[in-house]
Amino acid sequence: MSRRNNVRGPTSALTEFLKESGITPTTIARRARTRQVEQPAQLEAGPSNAQQNGDQPESGPRGTNGNAEEYASDHLDETDEEQPAQKKRKMTKTAEAKEKAKAKANAKKKKGDDEDFEDSDEDEDAYTALSKMWKDNSKPPVGSFENCARCNKQFTVTKYTMAANPPPGFLCHLCAKASGADPFKKPAAPRKRKAATEKRNVVHFEERRFPSLASLCIKIISHYIDDVEALGDIGSINLDELAKSLARNRSLTPQNAPLFYNVENTNLTLYDVTHLTPPAFNTLAALNPNLTSLRLDFCGRIDDTVMDSWTTSLPHLKRIELLGPFLIRIAAWKKFFETHPNLEGFLITQSPRFDLECTKAMVDNCKNIKELRLNEIGKMDDAILNEIKQYGEQLTYLEIAYPGVPEALSDDVVVDLMSAVGASLKHLNLSNNVNLTDGFLFQGLKPHARQLSTLVLANLPELTDAGVAEFFDTWKAAVQDHPNRALVNLDLSRNHELSDKALISLLKHSKKSLTNLNINGWKTTSQEVLKGIARQCPRLQKLDISWCREVDDWVIKELVEKCDKIQEVKVWGCQRLSLQCPRKRGVTITGVEIHVAA
Amino acid sequence: MEEPQGEKSSQPQDDWVRFISSDGYSFLVKRKVALASPTLRGMLDVSSNFAEAAMNTCRLEERGIVVEKLLEYLAYKSTFESAPKKEDIPDFMERIAPEIALELLMAADYYDS
Repeated sequence: MSRRNNVRGPTSALTEFLKESGITPTTIARRARTRQVEQPAQLEAGPSNAQQNGDQPESGPRGTNGNAEEYASDHLDETDEEQPAQKKRKMTKTAEAKEKAKAKANAKKKKGDDEDFEDSDEDEDAYTALSKMWKDNSKPPVGSFENCARCNKQFTVTKYTMAANPPPGFLCHLCAKASGADPFKKPAAPRKRKAATEKRNVVHFEERRFPSLASLCIKIISHYIDDVEALGDIGSINLDELAKSLARNRSLTPQNAPLFYNVENTNLTLYDVTHLTPPAFNTLAALNPNLTSLRLDFCGRIDDTVMDSWTTSLPHLKRIELLGPFLIRIAAWKKFFETHPNLEGFLITQSPRFDLECTKAMVDNCKNIKELRLNEIGKMDDAILNEIKQYGEQLTYLEIAYPGVPEALSDDVVVDLMSAVGASLKHLNLSNNVNLTDGFLFQGLKPHARQLSTLVLANLPELTDAGVAEFFDTWKAAVQDHPNRALVNLDLSRNHELSDKALISLLKHSKKSLTNLNINGWKTTSQEVLKGIARQCPRLQKLDISWCREVDDWVIKELVEKCDKIQEVKVWGCQRLSLQCPRKRGVTITGVEIHVAA
Repeated sequence: MEEPQGEKSSQPQDDWVRFISSDGYSFLVKRKVALASPTLRGMLDVSSNFAEAAMNTCRLEERGIVVEKLLEYLAYKSTFESAPKKEDIPDFMERIAPEIALELLMAADYYDS
């Protein structure tokens, strides 16, 4: 039965070794038997010994107990002939070799173990999973005669003789062919084990990725960067697109950055300057002396020396936007403000060092600041706000979001700030100031905001549904002359408390002008109200209704059908959307979970 | 070459796809080659409703010379990407003329290759 079972379970190293040295339960069992016989045999006469030896190759290998006996006795009759006996002697030689190999393994084992082996040999063949070995061993030697298990004709055993299936016995060539098996089929190549060193080599990273076309092009561009002629007509190419391509591959380097430099440049935007070193930033300033606006993303390597050199270069700079200027120290910031009094826009994100002192220097030196962004500032606090207040009604753009300590700013101080600067603001972002409450809306925004068109108040957990609703309901009426116009961009994402009332009121307030609405995470907003967005906002272009649980295909259908200008809808985490979620040309619907799964 | 229209499902890898550049050059490549670019794969995805997939024809907004090089790279990629480590892979860089490197970079970026 075991022969039919080709399944081999995992084997231990020892088992594998034994198998390779030709030691199987069968050979062990056989040897155990011969040893038992040998001892008395030495005392007794020779012939019985010989007979035992002759018996050896046949009796052991039989897979099935009862039949094996039967078969062996059959065979015994034939062994009277001279020729097979010789063959058997050969076999015994190999058996001796095996015995030597086995002796090593056996040295560790007690006799009792041997017995166990023998037992398991008889009982549980299926689990030892050594069918290959069995087959080889059980086969009678080449050249001997066998009776075909099927047609019972005598035939000569050859290399290609196959075992009968089901066992026992062997098939003659004709029967083997007739049974459908190919007797000449080569045995599957033995699995080669990997060399130990090779196995131990754990690959922690992809060694050589296939080069992408983009990376090849970048290499070429970097190589020919000094040879403008070779690169062809740059004028026809959208340099901004090129800058984005390079940034996406994070491959803007000091070598290829000069591609974007020009004496006449007034505007420079590089989206990923991770690889630019301080000297490269100096070069940037030196080769673009007429810049008025500079934006550098991921500029973590700008340090004090760069800021120092920028104090003299870049005299016309009016707007600077930096993402991640970690290394710039207080002294360098101060010197920068002192030497750039004409600055109108100062937008930085992520700085652990920018503090009250820097703010004071900015307010004292740069009187014309209109755009101010201090996002993710580690040392943000109320005192800094009090300084900013001095800008009064000249600020049009203000972002003080994601302070290092989310609780850093209190309601009162922000309300105070709004009373000072609110009237001129067009863009306001106060996200993630978790202490801001409805009170800020009523006392800060309602009376003071006059020109606001973009409002970002993401993740203000203190805001309540009723409070926000009331704010939008009463905003227009609050100021008699010049009430704030309707909002164009509104982001109230991740305010989980907000729901139907707030949405109804804000739509009522701004429905005509809204182009960009983000209510990500308003989890309990009802379907009816969500459909209202589509009905009421004719100008809507971008909408984020992720994690609004009630969103289903019908809400999307309304949007797609009723908002002519809609371009982008985000629906992450809206589990009710099905594969039938409506689509329309020109409308990108991102985040449909089932599309990802499909 | 024959372009089996109805048999897309039976031999999805072996039919031909046409690409037309912005200046009117037309290129025929094996589908397998085109599918080496994720963007083109999306355009040619039979399960989508795109006209490109229905007609097996894509219009690319690039000049012919750029489209040619892009497709050449995709052919190169589909040939050698699965090559064993030790096998020598010819260098593609020397096939790119520096004159088109900038344009090709943007095309490569868009077609994600």
